[in-house]
Amino acid sequence: MIAASAPREAKFGPSSIWTGTPTHYCAGCEHGTLTHLIAKALAERDARERTVMVSSVGCSVFAHEYLDLDSVQAPHGRAPAVMTGIKRAHPELLVFSVQGDGDAASIGLLELLHAANRGEPITIFMVNNAIYGMTGGQMAPTTPVGMVTTTSPEGRSVPQAGYPLDTTKLVASLEGPAYVRRVFFPISPTPAPDFFNARGALEGMQAVRHAFDAQEKGGFAFVEFVSTCSVNWKMSVLDAKRYAAQVLAPLFPSGVLRDRFGLERR
Amino acid sequence: MTAPRQFLKGNEALAYGALHAGLQSFYGYPITPSSEVPETLATQVGRPEYPEFRTFLQAASEVEAINLMLGAAATGEKTMTATSGPGFSLMQEGISYAHGAELPMLIANVNRAGPGLGNLGPEQTDYFAAVKGGGHGGYRNVVLAPDSVPEMASFPSLGFSLAFRYRTPVILLTDAFLGQLKEDLEFPTIESPTFDTPWAATGARGTTRHVLSSMHIELPEQNLVSRHLRDKFAEITRREQRSEELETRGARVVFVAYGICARLAQRAVRVLRDRSVPVGLFRPITLAPFPRDRLRALVDEGVRSFVVVELNTGQMVEDVRLAVDGAAPVRSMNQFGGLLPSYRDLVDEIGALAA
Amino acid sequence: MASALLQVAPQAHVEVNAELCKGCDLCVVVCPQQNLRLSDRFNRMGYHPVEFDVHGRKGDCTACGLCYWACPDFAIVSVERRRQ
Repeated sequence: MIAASAPREAKFGPSSIWTGTPTHYCAGCEHGTLTHLIAKALAERDARERTVMVSSVGCSVFAHEYLDLDSVQAPHGRAPAVMTGIKRAHPELLVFSVQGDGDAASIGLLELLHAANRGEPITIFMVNNAIYGMTGGQMAPTTPVGMVTTTSPEGRSVPQAGYPLDTTKLVASLEGPAYVRRVFFPISPTPAPDFFNARGALEGMQAVRHAFDAQEKGGFAFVEFVSTCSVNWKMSVLDAKRYAAQVLAPLFPSGVLRDRFGLERR
Repeated sequence: MTAPRQFLKGNEALAYGALHAGLQSFYGYPITPSSEVPETLATQVGRPEYPEFRTFLQAASEVEAINLMLGAAATGEKTMTATSGPGFSLMQEGISYAHGAELPMLIANVNRAGPGLGNLGPEQTDYFAAVKGGGHGGYRNVVLAPDSVPEMASFPSLGFSLAFRYRTPVILLTDAFLGQLKEDLEFPTIESPTFDTPWAATGARGTTRHVLSSMHIELPEQNLVSRHLRDKFAEITRREQRSEELETRGARVVFVAYGICARLAQRAVRVLRDRSVPVGLFRPITLAPFPRDRLRALVDEGVRSFVVVELNTGQMVEDVRLAVDGAAPVRSMNQFGGLLPSYRDLVDEIGALAA
Repeated sequence: MASALLQVAPQAHVEVNAELCKGCDLCVVVCPQQNLRLSDRFNRMGYHPVEFDVHGRKGDCTACGLCYWACPDFAIVSVERRRQ
């Protein structure tokens, strides 16, 4: 017997939106977790036939391989514009994208901020792992000061590259968005040695649901998932989680920065 | 509804022509000398005369505009933009992606002068960018060149027909002169073409889902896609070459010109024919596919030489030479910098040839 | 009688698809009862997949589902509470 089950989706089972294809993500990568949560959230609301996903450029570029949805590939950074074009043509569709921090906060910042400022009813999930993953570990606008990357071999320096960009704060500074949230997504170390909590994934699940709810209520939704990239940070999976908790969590604090529809109060 | 007899700028005619052709969305960024297109369309969105025209959005840049169009086109919508050279440069990324995912769209380029900011005068310097493909990865646009305000009105319909029939971006290449030129016209009867779009991404149905992507990470797969795109343009080249001729029968010398230069050449041909000089005009309507078959046939019909008139330092002349393939001399006659030649310059050019 | 039955028949079960598992350790370190561990064998992708053991170092599986939420690879196929 299944512990608890919805009519269509098992509480702890594979989502019907998942294609069954194993992901190309590295071991322990939050991209995989987010893909799972999105599949679950869309299946819960039985939205497959009214959803169009926009694949961005970066590690999320293969999203259509894993999510059994209609999908449009955007050029690097342009997903918010492509999503807007789809949504304006078909307001009844649920339109979302998973962007990376390079995609959303660097090359696509204009498209992100203007879609946000217009309050386009779309949903954007930004995976912020503070580095360019797909291209092999170059510095991102979100890279913490001092972090060594292939293009900041001495560590990111402020005079040379400026400060890490706080995308969520930037989006929340605009009037347009209806739902803006940042989630510390990785599993987190606890005082008990070698025991981590999975609060990030549970919080992430709630944020994904609310980000779709906000779109269905006609608002722009943006959720940043502070994440890890153990391969390009050149750490073990668990050390990357520890580093994220130590360095990224204070730099990119979690919180709900905008909740126009009161989704968090329910 | 637009009155049958009107006095319109080329850009305004283009806007109304697109509306009559069933335009559903316009995404653009203001740039002289194309801005009358968005200005006209902004007044028409949501009007009962054009029920299909639901979306007008001034984008934050031409980069955003072309990507908004990628999204609209992915749902099978008739979408267009209008821009000029600097904006056309910014759109090349999106045009390349539209080819990769085979998305139909209409892009009007009201060509202004010079590289960089240049000036606001007319030029035909974006011929290469439009005809040869200005972006990365190797693709071929369909390029239409109107030569009058009535054609500015009727070509969006033709553009959408070709765009949807072949699932390709179509460039409407015009210039600052035609965009700003006001002409008296009987507003033409314009067809709103309709097409099935079973490929459109509007939600997965059953086992069918639509993945519109230009990414083919497996090398043999990209090879197949590139072959398909090549074969598609070969088919377009076989079926869609369009041109117009004036007095080519019995002509010994033929002007080859498009857009505003074709208008100048028309006048020059009439003047020269009045003087019994056997001169004609060949006007490509599709700059791509270039109407090479008909142009080459003119040599067999007795044309001894060609004079290519264009507002650049020599671009279309290369395609004319390829089409004629050495069978007759091809001379280049150019003006640029935003300046136009006079029809008298064309008349004199023929005089020099005859001498 | 009932208590004897409970001892031999576990209450809960986690099913892992070893072929999807990348051996990232996330489920291992979030499991409060320590019911999961990486296997010595390799799966087809070359990873040491995770294995489930009802009897953890801190107790039996309670079907809390934390492993399911932590898994980035769809590899935790089900978490079931089984009736005896």
